[in-house]
Amino acid sequence: MKLNVAALLALSVPCFAQQDPNAVEAGRLVFRMSCAGCHGLHATGGRGGPDLTRGTYSTGDADKDLFSVISNGVPGTEMPSFRGALEDANISRLVAYVRSLSHAGAVPVKGDRTAGEKLFWGKGSCGQCHRVGMRGTAIGPDLTRAGKQRSLAYLRESVVAPDADLTPGYATIVVVTRDGAKITGVEKGFDNFSARLIDLSGRYYSFLKDDVKSMEREYRSVMPSNYGRMFSANDLDDLLAYLASLGGER
Amino acid sequence: MTRLSLALLLPAAMLAQSGAADWKTYGQNSQGWRYSDLNQIDTKSVSKLAPRWIFQSGMAGGFETTPLVFNGQMFIAGPSNNSWALDLLTGKPLWHVKKTPPARLNLCCGEVNRGFAVLGDRLFRVNIEGTLVALDIRTGATLWETQLADYKKGYSATAAPLIVKNLVVTGIAGAEFGTRGFVDAYNPETGKLVWRFNTVPGEGEPGSETWSGESWKLGGGSTWITGTYDPGLNLIYWGVGNPGPDMDGDVRRGDNLYSCSVVAIDADTGKLKWYYQATPHDVHDWDAISDPVVVDLTMQGRAVKALIQANRNGFFYTLDRATGKVLVAKTYTKVTWAKGIGADGRPILIPNQEPTEEGNFVCPGLGGGHNWSATAYSPQTGLYYFHSSEDCHLFYKTKQGFTEGQWYQASNVEGRAGDHGTGRLLAVDPATGETKWRFDMVSSTSAGVLATAGGLVFSGDGQGYLIAFDARTGKVLWKFQTGGGMVAPPISYALEGKQYIAIAAGGSIMTFALP
Repeated sequence: MKLNVAALLALSVPCFAQQDPNAVEAGRLVFRMSCAGCHGLHATGGRGGPDLTRGTYSTGDADKDLFSVISNGVPGTEMPSFRGALEDANISRLVAYVRSLSHAGAVPVKGDRTAGEKLFWGKGSCGQCHRVGMRGTAIGPDLTRAGKQRSLAYLRESVVAPDADLTPGYATIVVVTRDGAKITGVEKGFDNFSARLIDLSGRYYSFLKDDVKSMEREYRSVMPSNYGRMFSANDLDDLLAYLASLGGER
Repeated sequence: MTRLSLALLLPAAMLAQSGAADWKTYGQNSQGWRYSDLNQIDTKSVSKLAPRWIFQSGMAGGFETTPLVFNGQMFIAGPSNNSWALDLLTGKPLWHVKKTPPARLNLCCGEVNRGFAVLGDRLFRVNIEGTLVALDIRTGATLWETQLADYKKGYSATAAPLIVKNLVVTGIAGAEFGTRGFVDAYNPETGKLVWRFNTVPGEGEPGSETWSGESWKLGGGSTWITGTYDPGLNLIYWGVGNPGPDMDGDVRRGDNLYSCSVVAIDADTGKLKWYYQATPHDVHDWDAISDPVVVDLTMQGRAVKALIQANRNGFFYTLDRATGKVLVAKTYTKVTWAKGIGADGRPILIPNQEPTEEGNFVCPGLGGGHNWSATAYSPQTGLYYFHSSEDCHLFYKTKQGFTEGQWYQASNVEGRAGDHGTGRLLAVDPATGETKWRFDMVSSTSAGVLATAGGLVFSGDGQGYLIAFDARTGKVLWKFQTGGGMVAPPISYALEGKQYIAIAAGGSIMTFALP
């Protein structure tokens, strides 16, 4: 029954927002307290939470979808359920606030998506480390839904300055073995006494700290930092148009 | 030095409650040392330490409990009002009781519990919905249950009670919901309230002048970690949490006593003897709830009755426990909000560190420095062991109206891109505040610490390792991957001449001994 009540309320969200002229401001205050820790103070995406200012969301674009996501959380992600913690009226106010953002800050995509796709899989060789759907390699972050998860500005920064805000869990692990060999790769696990990594050839390694000369986690990306120079400004726009279009379709 | 000659050096009052084979109170003794006299497992033999049994609770995790051990049994106060008695030799459950918590609870941090207290044939624990319960030690049956405060107003209870003479003393949680904290003492036979110390003074009471207007009514000041007791002075020491709302200090001008203070309470009357407020007018959620540990020190050739605390605000304090006077105040982590602690005991503030609309980046972060995780003091090394979180946060405030029972933090924090918090285990000399050794960890941990007469310190990490350190040097001597993150402290006890180490890891209780 509880779910049905929530669904009914969700359907009434736009009405609610129209009826309550203070809903957006009230929602902003709720957002700062309950959401900004992950989605950022201005909802442009934080460390873990996606950008919410683009007017398109990874779990559906309708008001009822937003209400449902806030209420129920998203299984398999860090998004928790706020049912119980937030009154339904406050969830409705959050929906009104998040909706208000999408009209303000959206940056138009300039480039050509098809040309960008060609660059991604061709000149850029991005698929050697990234996956989109079933294509590519899962060494770096999966980009299947990158367009829905991240802002255009964030994606641009990730291409030209991959170290600027490293995706959590994708640091660089450097291990020096007892015989002096240096092995560098993407973090698959790192704790006080062991390290697991995949090098750029896709080979998996696991080490105990006691068995090696040193092991370090460096907060930099193994991704080359020269894409800003390799691509022209137009190329970059095309690539970003492609990335921004990635919404989870397989 | 042999164990016997060391024991002779200890004051009689300290020894009286430190039965080596058992573990009968949250901090091992009422002074909160979390130190075991057992020395079978020592710096040489620890490398052979191996699992003996594992009790699988069937719960996902969240065990913050300190198990109690005596009479050949282990008593576990678990999350979500679950309790168990286990056979100590085999780990098999003897009884399990559960009281289903109310459906809609307003909690800051999960349905956790930190352990039992015991007196005679009764166990005492709090239930998450803010009740204190007496259980029959033979069956787990409820003998009485007393409501500490109304959970619908945002109160909850998580701390292990403390037995002081013939009283069951306990604290309360809920400062994020505009509640008003207290320390209570109950009759163990009847469950009737004997005294209450309100951590936020009422109208006209001393200290009420430190709250603007009627802000005291929502003043917070939770008491969510077990205090300690000095039988010599007959004083109970208890840490008090943040004022409410956490990050908007504008609505509660003044020092906001006794939030973020350690209070010394007369055990018979519940009256305040002294207080020390580490963070006047706190706006960063730096509760002063960390273990207040009763130790006797020699400082500059003088014997000192001290109370030590690694405060969440980033300073380690040694206080005179008879008066509350600050004797040592030294940072143990990065601190950007205060230059130091003045001669009057007040922090010397650095400007522009308060939360604003757009936020200010301040160290330590929301969880402190050292937060609530259990600490250990070793009389063998004279060192105090505790975990620290090496992190900073952007603190921002938001104007928020108050609704009874609803979250009332008046904002939040966020991390900064490129910042990666880490953790540390520290060994601090309480006579000077100097860090003698530290072990850097990849992340902070809520696992507590145990010190033993075997010259060892035990603790866990968030990635599942139980670790044994040389108490003098911090060198790692042994480790074991338990497969479950640890948010509870280890304990030690003896059964049939064998010393054991036990800890809650994930949803399990694990025990270890030598072959």
